[in-house]
Amino acid sequence: MRTAIIIAVKRLCVALVLLFLACKPERPAVETAADDTPRDGGTLIRRLDADIATLNPVTVSSRYDSYIANYLFTPMVYIGRDMDAVPGLAKSWDISKDGKIYRFELDEKATFSDGTPVTANDVLFTMRKIIDPKSEALQIANGFELLDLANTKVIDAHTIEIAFREPLAGQLVRFNDVSVVPEHVYSKGDFRNDYNLTAVGNGPYKLVRREAGKQIVLERRADYWREKPHIQTIIFKIINDHNTAWNALKTGEIDETLLASDTWWRERNNRRLNEYIDFLRFYKGNYNYVGWNEHHPLFGDKRVRRALAMCIPTEAVIQDLYHGTARAMSGPFTPDEWAYNPDVPVIRYDPEGAKTLLASLGWADKDGDGVLEKGNQKFTFDLISLGGSSTGKQIVQMIQAEMKKVGIQVELLILDGATAIQRVFHGNYDAAYLAWDLDPDPDPYSLFHSSQNPPKGQNYIFYNNPEADRLIMEARRELDQSKRKDLYWRLHQVLAEDQPYAWVVQASAKWGINKRVRGVETSPGMGLLLWYPGELGWWLASAPQH
Amino acid sequence: MGAYLVRRFLYAILTFFGITVATFTLIHSVPGDPISFYIGNANRATIPKATLEAIRHEYHLDEPLPAQYLYWLRGAVTFDFGRSVLDRRPVTERILEKLPNTFQLNAIAFALAALLGIPIGLWSATRSGRPAERASAVFFFLLYSLPSFWVALLLMQLFAVKLGILPLFGMTSDNYLDLSTAEQLADRLRHLVLPVLTLMYAQLAIFVRFSKSALTEVIRQDFITTARAKGAREVKVLWHHALRNALIPLITLLGLTIPYLISGSVIVEQIFQWDGAGLLYYDAILSRDYPTVMALTVVTALFTLFASVVADVLYAFADPRVRLGEAAQ
Repeated sequence: MRTAIIIAVKRLCVALVLLFLACKPERPAVETAADDTPRDGGTLIRRLDADIATLNPVTVSSRYDSYIANYLFTPMVYIGRDMDAVPGLAKSWDISKDGKIYRFELDEKATFSDGTPVTANDVLFTMRKIIDPKSEALQIANGFELLDLANTKVIDAHTIEIAFREPLAGQLVRFNDVSVVPEHVYSKGDFRNDYNLTAVGNGPYKLVRREAGKQIVLERRADYWREKPHIQTIIFKIINDHNTAWNALKTGEIDETLLASDTWWRERNNRRLNEYIDFLRFYKGNYNYVGWNEHHPLFGDKRVRRALAMCIPTEAVIQDLYHGTARAMSGPFTPDEWAYNPDVPVIRYDPEGAKTLLASLGWADKDGDGVLEKGNQKFTFDLISLGGSSTGKQIVQMIQAEMKKVGIQVELLILDGATAIQRVFHGNYDAAYLAWDLDPDPDPYSLFHSSQNPPKGQNYIFYNNPEADRLIMEARRELDQSKRKDLYWRLHQVLAEDQPYAWVVQASAKWGINKRVRGVETSPGMGLLLWYPGELGWWLASAPQH
Repeated sequence: MGAYLVRRFLYAILTFFGITVATFTLIHSVPGDPISFYIGNANRATIPKATLEAIRHEYHLDEPLPAQYLYWLRGAVTFDFGRSVLDRRPVTERILEKLPNTFQLNAIAFALAALLGIPIGLWSATRSGRPAERASAVFFFLLYSLPSFWVALLLMQLFAVKLGILPLFGMTSDNYLDLSTAEQLADRLRHLVLPVLTLMYAQLAIFVRFSKSALTEVIRQDFITTARAKGAREVKVLWHHALRNALIPLITLLGLTIPYLISGSVIVEQIFQWDGAGLLYYDAILSRDYPTVMALTVVTALFTLFASVVADVLYAFADPRVRLGEAAQ
């Protein structure tokens, strides 16, 4: 009896092992094709860091939603390589002299995935939904706050005039956010709740299926009305964990993923991996900064803010923490933007200079406790930063250590996102180390204009300089590009002088992509994705291995 | 026995309300709300005030806290937990989608840990103090202290990346829907191996240590010596006489473990992309997704109370003194 059981167990084990071996996945073949002519077909497997919240392009709330929407919808205008507007659903446009009326000619070949044509009425319907507060169009409503619906009119089936109450120089590229949805579908039911899991789009791909928490499968439309992209099937696999995603890239289970800085640094010269993985690095519009709450008694004086900026060891951050894959910032614009003024100097790390400057303002360590004081006030403050990023944590620790040498006592407060934002937006903070992603248009109105204190805008540092206000407003309304550039170059100088933020670095993005993916290009400013052609220009050199 | 159960049940209901009030107060007193999460997520874009007002109104955030609780309670008694702040799907739907996954993973890990751990504990108890037992004690102690994210990465590296015999992540393969039922089962099992191993090893160590210490106590007692003296076989002495008397602490352990079957493990679910309730809970807390947090809390609380009731009933069955004590009252 007992032997029989043992034999049965053994047999079961052998059977299980055989089962596992039988199911062993194919290893990805190393691709050696040298042919550079794009070919059609294949299945691209992309990674999503988190499941999407919605497939409705009006209510997108994260960049993951946008990744999918970019395949399902062709926006009114695409953003080109140089961050300019290029034709999308609109094949051409005309802006009135006063900058208030945008007349768009839609591509009359355009159809939705259900076969119906895209009309100007659908555009009007979408514009209404974008500005309707009930839609909760979190990401894109703000770009159309000046929309004048009363004067917006449909001219004919493929022509629409969209009116604005005031001219806005950066308005055209904001139409990149307008992905037109078919009125005959999306007007039924509850717009906010009923269209999160389905999509009828006018884009090059259509939704095959969405398996929540696992994957999203898209298929190229046979009846797409523009030039079709090359890849037949796109699968987005949801992988939250960076290490797992990196392993999946190595085993060929996904074709692309964002890489952590240290993974990129460690593996990019690995010869075996380089046979089939490209290690990319590029800059896109974003920067990290320390924002000073100017309502705090310490930070009202711009000379103090300058002294604080001199304590930040930017070069050490770039070399030691980013391994040289980040660059110093001199102001609110990145070197890839036309608004960037190359003559504005970066503030150099100079603790001695900071000490001298603070001493000239009356700050001295009279009681010998290592902390500067002036009258009754000690030079000490809380610095908020976000948990989650180890590099971010190291940066604030370096700042803390450097400031201590000068006699400034910094307490670090590492918080989760929602808590940090709550405190910062209620002015309940001293200083905060945060980051911005930048829009294609450089307008920094909501960050630095004195009318944009929360909850209206994001000037939560309470920066207020009449000259900056004037420059920002003039540049917003200036339709002449070269004049607009001059205004921003001046604004760059003013903000660098005032130091409302201590701009720390612009870190580059790192990506790993399987070499079978071809036609991969980056745009200065936009990076890898969400510009045109961007990911729509990719093609696959080998048949899918899955 | 009946009166005991009724009383136990009434306590459970009171406790349940206590838990919902406490959770509601706690999650609302954490700084930040769905609005600040949305603002943080939107990063650069400013959200128009009217939109924020609409959201505030929809989630009753513009009303005083006690009113918000009553709104919530009104929905909860009809199992309507509202819609998620994140993806606008009904919370109940989201939870029902993920709970079975977590349950499956944790139940298997738990069962395996118990099936392996109790016999090993039994064995250790009989060999208490000998070198082999000492060595195993050290081994299980080390096992218990290994951080699971690290073990998970090692397992992944070996079985999925180097050897390629087990899947790296996920619950099913891409072609799952095209497979036959037997192949689907095999596919699921292959996906279960690494996460179950990761979840199991620490539990295994707990079971070994727990059953060992419970048994060691029993084994020293006179009736065991008597059983041996009357010539019973060692296996029978252990299973029949010793283990039965060591059941009480094991039932306690069981009661403590059951809630984990559904609340899940954030780490394992994240690393293996196991679409379970642990990750849902974690994301819901970070995004201040009040409806999801509350609903998951209710489910977990119900399970915990259920487990403690079950454990109490099992005590009564396993230990006549509990039953008789009740009857005597």
